[in-house]
Amino acid sequence: MIQLHAVAKQFRPPSPWWRAAAAPLQAVQDVTWQADDGQITGLLGPNGAGKTTTLRMLAGLIPPDRGRIEVDGLSVLSAPRQALARLGMLSDAQGLYPRLSARENIAYYARLRGLCEAQTEARIDTLARLLDLRSLLDRRTSGFSQGERLKTALARAVVHDPPNIVLDEPTNGLDVLATRALRDTLRMLRSAEGGAKCIVLSTHIMQEVAHLCDHVVVMAHGRSVAQGSVAALQALTGQAQFEEAFVQLAFAAPPCAPGVPA
Amino acid sequence: MSHHILTPAPQASLASQALTVYGKELRDAGRDHRTLWVVLASSVLLAPALLWALSFWMADLQARNEQRVVWVEGIEHAPSLHNFLARQTYQVQAPPADVQEQLHRGQFHDPVLRVPADFEAALARGQAPTLTLLTDSGYPRAQAGAQRWDRLLAAFRQERATLALALRGVSPGLLEPMRWEEHDLASALSRAASISTVLPFVFIMAVLSGALNAALDTTAGERERGSLEPLLMNPVSGMALAVGKWAAVLTVSGGVAVLSCASFLPAQAVFQGEVLRSLVQFGPLQALAFVALLLPLAACVSAVLMWVAIHSRSVKEAQASATVLVMLFTALPMLSSLNIIDSQRWAVLVPGLGQHALMGRVLKGEALSAWQWMAPWGVSAVVVGLCLWGLSRRWPRTVG
Repeated sequence: MIQLHAVAKQFRPPSPWWRAAAAPLQAVQDVTWQADDGQITGLLGPNGAGKTTTLRMLAGLIPPDRGRIEVDGLSVLSAPRQALARLGMLSDAQGLYPRLSARENIAYYARLRGLCEAQTEARIDTLARLLDLRSLLDRRTSGFSQGERLKTALARAVVHDPPNIVLDEPTNGLDVLATRALRDTLRMLRSAEGGAKCIVLSTHIMQEVAHLCDHVVVMAHGRSVAQGSVAALQALTGQAQFEEAFVQLAFAAPPCAPGVPA
Repeated sequence: MSHHILTPAPQASLASQALTVYGKELRDAGRDHRTLWVVLASSVLLAPALLWALSFWMADLQARNEQRVVWVEGIEHAPSLHNFLARQTYQVQAPPADVQEQLHRGQFHDPVLRVPADFEAALARGQAPTLTLLTDSGYPRAQAGAQRWDRLLAAFRQERATLALALRGVSPGLLEPMRWEEHDLASALSRAASISTVLPFVFIMAVLSGALNAALDTTAGERERGSLEPLLMNPVSGMALAVGKWAAVLTVSGGVAVLSCASFLPAQAVFQGEVLRSLVQFGPLQALAFVALLLPLAACVSAVLMWVAIHSRSVKEAQASATVLVMLFTALPMLSSLNIIDSQRWAVLVPGLGQHALMGRVLKGEALSAWQWMAPWGVSAVVVGLCLWGLSRRWPRTVG
C-alpha cells in the first residue's frame, strides 16, 4: 500500500550568482492519495500536472518540502532503504546498460537488492517466462527495440518481487501488441495468483486508465483534484464518457483551488 | 509468483553493494574494447616507443662519435691544421659542393669548417686568419659536432701559440697563469636520470589517460544514458555506489600504471646502442617502486575526476572540466622538470608533482625516506576520502 498525504515540492531554477534568482516553480502543491494492494491505481493528468515529480518523491529521488509519503507504512523520508526495498519502480528513464546483456542488467539490480545467486537466477527465469524475455536474456541490450528495452527494465524493476510496483508512462513508444502484453502482465500481477500487488500507473492515455485501473487519481496544476473509480468520476462530473469527465476535472479546476473532491 | 517469497525484501550490506557495483563497472569497462585499446596503445606503449626512438637517435650520435670524421671545406689551404687533426686521429673529409644549402634544408647535419685560401700564409705572418664553422643550431647533432670543433680549434690555437712563444724563448707557463680541472660528481645513475626525466612524466600521463575515460563513463556517462536515475531508485547506499565505482576506475588506471611499468622492462632489451642502455637504469626494483608511487596517484586522480564529472550534465561537459584538471596534473611535473618550481619537501604532498619528483629520485638511484614513501599515500587517502564523501552526497542531486 502506498500513501501520500499533503505532499508539496518547489524547485528553484539554478541561476548564476551575478543574476537575480529566478522565480521558484511550484511543481507539486498538495497531493494526497492512497493506492491499495490488489488494485491498479491510475495517476492521470495533463503534461506538467506534477505526476513525474510526485513519483520521483515516492522513489526517494527528491525529498518533498512538506507532506508524508509511506510505502507499506514505512516513511520514504525517515526509512528510505526499508521503504524502497518494498517498492519496484519503472521510471521514464529506463537507462539500461548497453554493454551488458538483459540477464546481466537484471542480475545487477537483484544483487544490489541483496538477492543471492540462486534467488537471482530463479527470479530471472520467472520474469523471463512472465514477460516473454527468454530469447532476449543473453543478448546485449544495445540493439534492443523500445518494447524489448521496456520489458527488460520492467523485469529489472520488479526482480526483488516487491509488493508495490510503480510505472511511469510505461506504454510510451510501445506498439499495440506490446501494450496489450504489458496490460495482461499488470492484470496478472494485480490478481491473487500474481501476488495481489499494489500497482500505480502514471499515464495520460484515457483508454489505458479505463481498461486497466480500479482507482484513478486525477492530477492538475500540481494537485490531486479528484479520485475514485472510473464510474465514480463519471458520476461526479455527470459525464457518460470518461474522457469528458477527465477534461472537466483536470482543466476546469482553478490552478490554486484547495481541497480534493472525492 | 507470490510476493511472500522474498518479502520483506532482503537488504544487501554496504560492502556487498559496493562489491556488486565494482563487479558491474569492471565488466562494463572491460567490454568497451575500443576505449581499452586506445588507452593501452597510447599509455602502455608510449614509454617504450618514446625511448626506442630516443635510443635510435643516441645510437646514431654514438656511431658518429666513434667514426671520428670531420668535414672541412678547403683543407688544402691549411696543411698545419690538417696535420693537427690527423694527429688527433680525425679523418678529414670534403663536404658536398652545396653543403650550405643542404645544411639549411636539414639534409646535412654535421658542422662544416670553411678554410680561407690564404689561411696558411696568414697564420705564418701572425695575422690571425678567420675560419668559418657552418652549422645549424636547430639540430642537436649539429650542436654536438660544433662543441667538438670548439675543443679541437682551441687546442690547435693553444698548440700554435705555445710553439710560437717557445721559439721566442718565452715560457709557455706564462700563458697559463692558472689551470682548472672538471670533476663531474654526478654518478652514472644521475646522468641517466637527466636523460630519462621524460619517464616519470610518461607514466603519470598513462595513469591519467587510464583514469579519464572510466571516471567519466561511470559518472557523467551514467547520468547522460539515463541509467543513474533507476539505479538510485534501489535502496543502495550513496557511499557503496561511490566506493564501488571508484574502485573500478582505480583498477583500470592502476592496471594501466602496472602494465605501463611492466611493458618498459622487456622493451629495454631491444634498445639500440650501449649509451642509452647504460644510462637508463630501469630494472624490476625501479618498476616496483614506480608502481608503489603511481598507485596513490591513480587512486587520487580517479576520485577527483569522478567528483568533477558528477557535477557535469553530460560527458562532453565533463570532458571540458576534466581537461583543465589533467592539464594541472601534467603542468606541475613539467614546471618541476624545468626547475621553475623547486622540488622542496612540500612537493611530495602535491599529487603528480610529488610522484614526478620521487620517481626522478628513484631513477637517480637515491633511497627514499619513510616520509617520502608514506606522504603520497597519506595525501591520497585524504583526497579520496573527501571526494567519495562528496560523491555519496551528490548522487541524489544529479537526478533532482
